Amino acid sequence: MSQVETGAGLGATEPRRTHKLTPLVTGARFLPFALFVGFITIGQNTAGEGLFVALAITIGVVVLIALLIAGFAYVSWRRLTFWFDEQGDLRVASGVLTRTERRLQLSRLQGVDVVQPFIPRLFGLSQVTVEVAGTGDSRAQIQYLGNEDAQNLRNSVIARAAGLHPDAGEAPQQALVEVPTKDLLVSLLLRGVTVVLFLATLLVVVVTWFATGPAGLFWLLLGGVPLIAVASEYLGFHGFTVAKSPDGLRTRSGLLQVQAQTVPPGRLQSVEFVQSWLWRSRDWVRVRITVAGMESDSDQQQGANTFKQVLLPVAPYDVAVAVVNEILPGVDARKTPLHPAPKQAKWRAPIQHRRLGVGWDDRVLVTSRGRFVWHLAVAPHARTQSVRVTQGPWQRRLGLATMHLDSPPGPVEVVALYRDAAEARALADAQNQRAQQALQSDPAGRWMQQRDEKS
Amino acid sequence: MVFWLVVLVGVAAVALAVSGVPLWSGVVVLVALILLVWLWWLIGRQVKAYGYVEREEDLLVRSGILFRRMVIVPYGRMQLVDLVAGPIDRMAGLSTVQLHTAAAATDAKIPGLPPENAGALRDRLAARGEERSAGI
Repeated sequence: MSQVETGAGLGATEPRRTHKLTPLVTGARFLPFALFVGFITIGQNTAGEGLFVALAITIGVVVLIALLIAGFAYVSWRRLTFWFDEQGDLRVASGVLTRTERRLQLSRLQGVDVVQPFIPRLFGLSQVTVEVAGTGDSRAQIQYLGNEDAQNLRNSVIARAAGLHPDAGEAPQQALVEVPTKDLLVSLLLRGVTVVLFLATLLVVVVTWFATGPAGLFWLLLGGVPLIAVASEYLGFHGFTVAKSPDGLRTRSGLLQVQAQTVPPGRLQSVEFVQSWLWRSRDWVRVRITVAGMESDSDQQQGANTFKQVLLPVAPYDVAVAVVNEILPGVDARKTPLHPAPKQAKWRAPIQHRRLGVGWDDRVLVTSRGRFVWHLAVAPHARTQSVRVTQGPWQRRLGLATMHLDSPPGPVEVVALYRDAAEARALADAQNQRAQQALQSDPAGRWMQQRDEKS
Repeated sequence: MVFWLVVLVGVAAVALAVSGVPLWSGVVVLVALILLVWLWWLIGRQVKAYGYVEREEDLLVRSGILFRRMVIVPYGRMQLVDLVAGPIDRMAGLSTVQLHTAAAATDAKIPGLPPENAGALRDRLAARGEERSAGI
């Protein structure tokens, strides 16, 4: 149960199970439910019979539920196996009544994530998610493996996908950035939304104090709303580190639940630097990314998703650019000359019009928007899916139009807002040209084609 | 839209006949008829606003009057091409060709094509997409 067995070359391995403690840990997740049911039965029984009888019944019910769940967890653990087949692809067989066997073609690998959810983490267990390109449910979750075992599986999958020997071991990694706890906390508290909510709370408290006396203090509770938001992000991003490895950039963070992600350079669609207006004095930015295939995990919890969309929760711009340059070498969004939006744009966007701009060099398109929250988005030409020009009634009145660069679903929006109508059209054509040229000479594109022919 | 308005007019007319011409049902029928005429005119204009060009390396689709949009999709980026025809489309002998890329925002749709043309267009697009396929 320790190592991922490997044959010669890309050979097949024997089917194997997950960690022995898996049924226990799966069962433990239902503990609150069992206790809740027990609680209800106590409540119903204390009325009639004595306390002793009630307690006995309750314990009986809880034990019964626990046995049922444990039994089911045990059987499904017994039936879940995974192995590498002769083609070197990962197969996962699972299911008690309905058997499913899933084959994950590793030549189409999107990413491997190792996550330690809270309870499994207490037992030293991790969950491995292997995701391949495809629409809908194109991934397998293997839960749970010992921490080291999970790392081995991850390395083995990545090595096989890259066509290396499965025992090649973990690609060496080099730490790039670690986000200091203090900076993270300060940045979360200084976000515009947080500050506005705090001020609103203060206002409500003061007003009700004058109106109704000390009872107004009750409204202090409102301040808890922004605090909860800050706390949950803090828990997710605590101890955020970015490291560089041959597979791509690796990020890792979390206080209770530890999450890790690898961003392969070829999968990156677009990047944006987001600056909240109170961050400007320190020149902090948050780096958000769109990676292909990210949005397909609809069942993922919100928290994990935000983590997946963030390459750096907060860092000075220089540091952020250095990290982004590991994936997009030589790209500096702020040094790309931007063409400002025309004067008429101020009638459509009175607040942000000075910030609107679009620029490009031979590799990327850069767009800028937003007054209070400044979004500086960067997309390589080779990742353009399609270009779009839109024009609403108000924009047409002003002779304006907007050019969009469409990329796979994700947090980054690359859009040149409110250009001169003729310019927008010219921009779209030019961008289309650049995209097609870039595609013909893009090494990542060719790499994909070679892969596809091989498989 | 037109379909539902026709239904509404029908229902109102039936209500009119059954309940012996109360004032409100007359108003409803009148409003619905005006809407119907207006929509007829509007949809006519919208249909004229739709257009597409098959260019050498990409497809250009244009649509809309009040909210205008134009999208350029390189053939190499097309992931799949759908041919859709709903029941009313089929009654009118029409179908819609819909393109998908990895970006959901692309949404390039060419409605109201005669089935033979639509099928041929779909096959042409699919073939060109195959030739120039570039992954993501």
